[in-house]
Amino acid sequence: MKLIERRVSPADSPLAVTTAMVGAAVVAMLITSLLFTLYKANPLQAYFALFHEPFASWRGFGYTLVRTAPLTLIALGTIVSWRSGFGYLGFEGCFVIGAAATSWLALNTAFSSWAFLPLALLLSFAAGAAWAGMVALIRARFGGNEVLISLMMNYVAILIVQYLVSGPMRAPGGVPETALLPRATWLPFILPGTRAHAGILLALLATLLVWVLLRKSRVGYELIVSGLSPSAARFGGINVGARLVFAAFCAGGLGAWAGLVEVLGEQHRLMDGISGGVGFTGIIVALLAKLNPLAVIPAAVLYGGMTVGANAMQRRAGIPSSITFILQSLIVLMVLASDIFRRYRVKLT
Amino acid sequence: MPAFEMRKIVKRFPGVVANRDVDITIEAGEIHALLGENGAGKSTLMQILYGFHSMDSGSILIDGKPVEIASPRDAIALGIGMVHQEFMLVPRFSVVENTVLGLQGKLDLREAARRLRTLSEQHHLAVDPDAQVQHLPIGVQQRVEILKLLYRDARLLILDEPTAVLTTHEKDQLFTVLRGLRSEGHSIVIVTHKLQEIVDLADRVTVMRDGQVVATVSTRETTEQELARLMVGREVNLRAVKVPVERGKAILRVEGLHVRDEVGQEKVRGVTLDVHAGEIVGIAGVDGNGQSQLAEAIMHLRPADKGRIFLHDREVTRLTVAQHRAFGLAYVPADRRHVGAVTEMSIADNAILGSQGKHTKGPFLNTRKIREHAEKLITRFGVRATSIATKAGKLSGGNLQKLILGREILEDAAAMVVEQPTRGLDVGAIESIWAELLAQRERGKAILLISAELEELMNLADRIAVMFEGRIVGILNAASVTTEKLGLMISGLSEES
Repeated sequence: MKLIERRVSPADSPLAVTTAMVGAAVVAMLITSLLFTLYKANPLQAYFALFHEPFASWRGFGYTLVRTAPLTLIALGTIVSWRSGFGYLGFEGCFVIGAAATSWLALNTAFSSWAFLPLALLLSFAAGAAWAGMVALIRARFGGNEVLISLMMNYVAILIVQYLVSGPMRAPGGVPETALLPRATWLPFILPGTRAHAGILLALLATLLVWVLLRKSRVGYELIVSGLSPSAARFGGINVGARLVFAAFCAGGLGAWAGLVEVLGEQHRLMDGISGGVGFTGIIVALLAKLNPLAVIPAAVLYGGMTVGANAMQRRAGIPSSITFILQSLIVLMVLASDIFRRYRVKLT
Repeated sequence: MPAFEMRKIVKRFPGVVANRDVDITIEAGEIHALLGENGAGKSTLMQILYGFHSMDSGSILIDGKPVEIASPRDAIALGIGMVHQEFMLVPRFSVVENTVLGLQGKLDLREAARRLRTLSEQHHLAVDPDAQVQHLPIGVQQRVEILKLLYRDARLLILDEPTAVLTTHEKDQLFTVLRGLRSEGHSIVIVTHKLQEIVDLADRVTVMRDGQVVATVSTRETTEQELARLMVGREVNLRAVKVPVERGKAILRVEGLHVRDEVGQEKVRGVTLDVHAGEIVGIAGVDGNGQSQLAEAIMHLRPADKGRIFLHDREVTRLTVAQHRAFGLAYVPADRRHVGAVTEMSIADNAILGSQGKHTKGPFLNTRKIREHAEKLITRFGVRATSIATKAGKLSGGNLQKLILGREILEDAAAMVVEQPTRGLDVGAIESIWAELLAQRERGKAILLISAELEELMNLADRIAVMFEGRIVGILNAASVTTEKLGLMISGLSEES
């Protein structure tokens, strides 16, 4: 008697999906527990340290929101481009280009704070859109490989910013960074007693916009058709090349907004290495959310929160914070793998 | 005692029972046809016999003795061979290299070639063992597949839809070869849904429907009409009724069109034709003679090198696909799953492909209008689906084609290009697709029908243009042409007299 039976179609009720996701996270945590024991730490205490700080303390929660905002924006960019069949990986580049454009505007102009923010949003979006749009043009016009080109262009962007902060935009002093941005340009802090800033509101707004774009608009319909089947899209009278470039504009713009949020909300200056790899972690968040814009927020909160908790864990339990990265990666792997289990059922008779 | 016997075969796939207590016997020296609509379970049954699928229960007997067939290797060892619809040949290898591919033991190509030559002469296959497969016509490639099986001493040859890609002439040659093999005591199973061939060729026919055998009959005691009824489960009309329609003015005109394919080869070489209102113009031809490129160029999915295309006397040669659609041209492509529809999207989403601009409210999609449109589409054209939220990929070929054809018809375009509308569909679906096309003709639409099925063209078209190697070699009046004449012309053996 077979104990495990293949289902006719995967179980896809919300309960089954949630169970699979939670189960996947638990398995990932169990595996990571083995790593904790290597450091002779009690896994329960370690996990308490990891999750208490970011989700149960007011100050830590503020930090969680600070980390969530750029992750969300990058993940949204990933969703728009990937759903359109544009395998863009250049978000590190967009992030630093957006951060640089914002810093330049803040340091070199003197707008009142209510006029500055819209202008900065516009300028950084345009800069990121142009950066990603170049790759899309190469792909649409000459059939270039966007994966390779966008990855390589990350290095170009990072080196440009390195040059800027050690050359034309460098502030006097030992470290290659710009001067502190004028206080009027900073994003307002939104939770008293924390560093949480208005960037999270921008992230929420962008989530809504991307959801409406992909689910409700004609352009979004055409983007998704282009992504799923370019030949069917052409048959349906859709200009696939133009849609690709449009998707790249949105993706690049959203990636640049992540840079803006980081500069105006958290760092308040431009420096080398400002992205800290968020251009790639954002892609992972998009995968964790299964390219669904509405699932990005919880995924980003979880991911951002764990980054914050990692430091607390290192302080309290003496466990290297890098283990958190292993845990994060395991969670993504397990969640992606958990789909297989929804295809089977257990028979207890 | 039958040479091959399958008893009480049961095979379940997720969601369907593909074979339900199926019994079939195949005698030595018999051509046995396995007939059924798509999804009736005939391919599954043969794949079980060939070791591709395992069965859930049942037994297989050869010469009365039960055997285990766990893989194609087992099947070959037991003398069972299969020619798939898509040939499994390495194009750059020679015939003999293809033949020995996968065999165990010492590799002696010269000896193998000698044996192949003997086999080829013995069975009148006329295959040169040293020829490279990529240079051989489709009909000869098929003979190579048969030769491969004979080389492996197969006693039972299973041929899956063997005539789908053949010209009339090649088909006749194949039938001669198969009759020869039968007289030498080989057993042959042909899996097909073409009734006429069965009556011509087979000794007995087993008809399957919904995973079950509905009848096994001798072809001498049955008719096409009877077989169609058994296969579909109700009376079917094999002849379309064409009422006279007043021919209107020319809607779609093509002048001196030249088109290249992806690799730069000129596939359409100076095609000129016109399609009038209330008329179906058929394009006959064996696949690969430029028909697809012609259709794509008319819709501007592929640029034309030279020549002009007119729609209502307005030149549209260089206009975009969207503009073609706006000026009244609809298109039903041959590739239903990759071009005509997006299989991963819902029926509702597919229902507006091509007319997405008409289902909007400002920049947003008008969900209510889309829902109404999709509901209307599936009701009006009889698309069998649980709901409009079902993914289009889950529809059967016939239902998907009804969805695509219906969508293009609802566009109400003055002209329509329809490519291979019934390829791979079963009799029931063909009947309703033909009726829809004729209804459009009666409504005064201009239809260009590209088909490899001569029956279809003779039934539907008013005029038939024969395309061979990129040229129109003759335009015939459908009322006065014979299948034989058309068959010769599409093989390039006869020009219009």
